[in-house]
Amino acid sequence: MRLDNVAKRYGFTLPWVIHDVTLEIPAGLLVRFEGKNGSGKSTLLRVIAGVSEPSRGSVTGRPVTGYVPERFPPALPFRARDYLSHIGRIHGLTGRRLASAIDACLDRLSGRELAGVPLRNMSKGMSQKVAVAQALLPGGGLLVLDEAWTGLDVEAKAALDEAVAERLADGGSVVFVDHEPGRLGHLEAERWRLDAAHASRVRSDDSAAGETRGSEQRPGPEDTQ
Amino acid sequence: MALVWYELSLLLRSHRWIGPAVLFVLGVFGLGGATLRHGAGLSPGLAWSALVLVPVEAWLTRSMLTAEPAASRACVAAAGGPRRTQLAALIAPAVVGAAFGLVGIVWQVFRLGVPRAAGTNAIRVGELFADLGGGLAAGLVCLLVGSAVAVLLNPPVIKRSATAVLGTTGAVVLALAWNGSPANAAVRSIGYAGQERTWPAGVAMAAALGLVAVAWTISIQIAARRDG
Repeated sequence: MRLDNVAKRYGFTLPWVIHDVTLEIPAGLLVRFEGKNGSGKSTLLRVIAGVSEPSRGSVTGRPVTGYVPERFPPALPFRARDYLSHIGRIHGLTGRRLASAIDACLDRLSGRELAGVPLRNMSKGMSQKVAVAQALLPGGGLLVLDEAWTGLDVEAKAALDEAVAERLADGGSVVFVDHEPGRLGHLEAERWRLDAAHASRVRSDDSAAGETRGSEQRPGPEDTQ
Repeated sequence: MALVWYELSLLLRSHRWIGPAVLFVLGVFGLGGATLRHGAGLSPGLAWSALVLVPVEAWLTRSMLTAEPAASRACVAAAGGPRRTQLAALIAPAVVGAAFGLVGIVWQVFRLGVPRAAGTNAIRVGELFADLGGGLAAGLVCLLVGSAVAVLLNPPVIKRSATAVLGTTGAVVLALAWNGSPANAAVRSIGYAGQERTWPAGVAMAAALGLVAVAWTISIQIAARRDG
């Protein structure tokens, strides 16, 4: 999928939260966004995930998408399994495929016992497992993680790392933001820095700030094709 | 379909439909019973049921539009697309309102009886179908007007609760009482309170459909672009 000159603001009189972002997310790519609080990381992830449309520019070729928001609310009147069934059906899963996808996602996060628990009664960590499980349900395509690790226990964090690696190996792509600098450090990732609403790529040999430049001039492997 | 089913489950399980349901029961079974006399025919009863649908549908729609926390909406929108998700959230309360409307029609037929020929007591089928058709059409107009009013004056279009609640209440009163309102016209056209007709029923229906189309489009447009 690709973003072309994507810009976003939440009102005509408000400043741009992100501005002129052009990037390509091919299959199998892991992308990490970095930046200060309020630099537009969450907004960009929402646009990439298709939760929110850009004010300008275009997003094309988005595959099936799972999205884990920054804070998942437990204030929904469903039990975990019912909620996951709804999300699975929206992704087009039905019958036995749906049931086994739900079991697989919950098992992976050691959350099988959560299936019958009402979301209202869940702790932060428990509902975060449900949030991750719903995003993993489609089993392919794009995974967008906005600090998805926050609140998970050690095993679930490791399980999510593993799910990301698997998704990439299966030809899916993963885009994430996390306050932990070493998150998914063992995997090869394309790093982007958001600064003053602009996104710039951070080259692997330059772990400090990347040079800010217009995306049109950005030399990258996809430009040479 | 999966999206509508999700939104419908959310509305029903959140128990937010109970307030509108109580209002409907009080309106149709309580107040309606007190104001209508037997022997006046079926149409006034059906008109009354239709009229009650305006505030009931507005309340249902507001309940639905405020039921879902932003972050869970985001997860659903990632799966189903923000526009289709919002459309589903507008359809779901209309489905519930339509169910209420049908209950109201059945109740009025049960209570007021079907039109019968004097003397022979035979059911006048033609008249019955005309009454029911008129009642259904008036109910649909009222449902659409209730929806449109609530959609225009609630999140994501109007976000502040105080403004939304006051605005919706005011608009519902206007929709019921102002004789330029399609709901008011539709109800009058089937003879409620025996007043003179304002607009033909077809015009009221077209106006209601137009109003809903505009309101839903605005709501979907904003929902696809909003922040939280």
